[in-house]
Amino acid sequence: MTGLVIDATNVVKYLGSGAGRVAAVRGVSLSLTGGQLVLLMGPSGSGKTTLLSMLGCMLTPTSGTVRILGRATAGLLPERLADLRRRHVGFIFQNYHLFPTLTAAENVRLALEMSGEHPWRAHAKAVKALETVGLAHKVRVFPRELSSGEQQRVAIARAIVANPAVVLADEPTAALDSANGHAIMTLLAKIAKDPSRAVLIVTHDPRVLPFADRVLNIEDGRLVDKLPQAKPE
Amino acid sequence: MELGRLTPIIFTLASRNLFHDRIRLVATLVGIVFSVVLFTVQLGLFLGFERMITTMIDHASADLWIAPADTKGFEATALLEGRERFRALAVPGVADVTPVVIGFTFWRKPNGKSQTPVFLIGTTPGGLQPWNLIEGNLSDLSTPQAVAVDRSYFDRLGVAEIGDYGEIGDKKARVAAVTKGIRSFTTTPYVFMPLDRARAYLGLPSASATYFLVRIAPGASVNEVRQRLQAALPNLEVITSDEFRRRSRSYWLFGTGAGAALFGSALLGIAVGTVIVAQTLYSSTKDHLSEFATLRAMGSSRRYLYLTILWQALLTAIIGFAIAAAASLGLARLTAESALPIVMTPGLIAGLFVLTVAMSIVSAISAIVVVTRVDPVTVLAR
Repeated sequence: MTGLVIDATNVVKYLGSGAGRVAAVRGVSLSLTGGQLVLLMGPSGSGKTTLLSMLGCMLTPTSGTVRILGRATAGLLPERLADLRRRHVGFIFQNYHLFPTLTAAENVRLALEMSGEHPWRAHAKAVKALETVGLAHKVRVFPRELSSGEQQRVAIARAIVANPAVVLADEPTAALDSANGHAIMTLLAKIAKDPSRAVLIVTHDPRVLPFADRVLNIEDGRLVDKLPQAKPE
Repeated sequence: MELGRLTPIIFTLASRNLFHDRIRLVATLVGIVFSVVLFTVQLGLFLGFERMITTMIDHASADLWIAPADTKGFEATALLEGRERFRALAVPGVADVTPVVIGFTFWRKPNGKSQTPVFLIGTTPGGLQPWNLIEGNLSDLSTPQAVAVDRSYFDRLGVAEIGDYGEIGDKKARVAAVTKGIRSFTTTPYVFMPLDRARAYLGLPSASATYFLVRIAPGASVNEVRQRLQAALPNLEVITSDEFRRRSRSYWLFGTGAGAALFGSALLGIAVGTVIVAQTLYSSTKDHLSEFATLRAMGSSRRYLYLTILWQALLTAIIGFAIAAAASLGLARLTAESALPIVMTPGLIAGLFVLTVAMSIVSAISAIVVVTRVDPVTVLAR
């Protein structure tokens, strides 16, 4: 069933203090529903990362509200925000941020075990997640032995293994060549087909546009174009 | 099933991070081992010292000791006149009173050219007689000029076997029995002999004694007999063996500053170890800060981050302790026959383990402070 996963209303975020205080996000409202792959595009310094941080419960808005599965994040203490991230958000980072001393399966297990999953069950689920991203044969391989594309696949497996309501990806193709970038986007589009899960991708990369169900453009902290763009047939 | 699948990943992460940087691990372990071995040696010396201080009291057949007033330790050489013995024997509950004479004098070696200080102990059977005899026996001491000495002091005394002679004062002394392991913390050799011979060698009056060892009658209360003896001998001290041990330890270990020096060195070892481990854990955590930020971004609780660091600290402590304990046991074995052995007891080893773990956990505080400040947003900016 497709449902509202994230709802942001008139979100404002100031960063810094005193004379250095700037409005990074100025009155953004948006909603993410399950089964959609949404792109957030904009130039550097436009507020993409700040908005992503708020949608991903890393930051709370200065004013306005962000709700994830109906729960407002405003005023929550860091530990409660971490709890929301752990339960409902899967992150994919530009530089993968895999743990170099852990194997692919162990990197994925980590996302489950920090939620209290038993190691043995976590391992089984991690192997299954790696199968989903096409890395069943790389379970015991360390990140340094993987290609960039494979490392990003492990990161995707880690992001989805706990079955989060929303997957937030920060420039997931920026460090990849076009073939790997295409493969990763294909994978993310497949993941976004799950009607209970929304996928939001922050990107500069115009090559990913064909995969989007919707594109949000942000400039100077404001969404300037929220018109949905159809995927090419 | 692979063991790794059953091991919580937090332990895997902590241990892999630890072993990943081997140079840093070695530096950390050297710090812990240095610290723990230094601490162990000092404490082991302290225990060895403590045991040696009380060894004569431990081996005396006494429920109570009658001693000159203000006696600080066994080696005190104030004299009792001798008639106190009869007053003590008249106290109800006293079964026996045995005189002991002690005193420092000199032993002239058989070559006649050099001499060395010795500590004479004279008593009657049932008093403070030599133990751990490895050659000769107690009855041999009743023969003329017979004394018992410890094998470890043969070189000091210039003797090599039973039957060899030395001189105490201007009187001959013949080695008639040999003990093993009766060493003095003052490094002055003990020389055992019958009571009258000791008095003669030391030039003491015939009835005099340094202590009277009191054995109480079966069924009598030590405390009650002690009170009665104290009342009968108001100018002397009547003390239990336990009290005498405490008094001797207190005097030699703390009255002389020897114990404070040993404890001071031990604490220095712990301080050095804590600083080294804290420094390496801190720098390791700084190096892995992006990983901690990633964990935090993924929704890890602070507790989980702290556990990762604490497990790393604990693992370091366990490995460091194992090496340090082995090294310390080796040192204890090497010094077992020396003048001042390092004593390792199960209690000391268990205490050292607890101390090593505590040291490592305290050391982790600086790393934990660093992780507390980690901002998950930094992961998005990189």
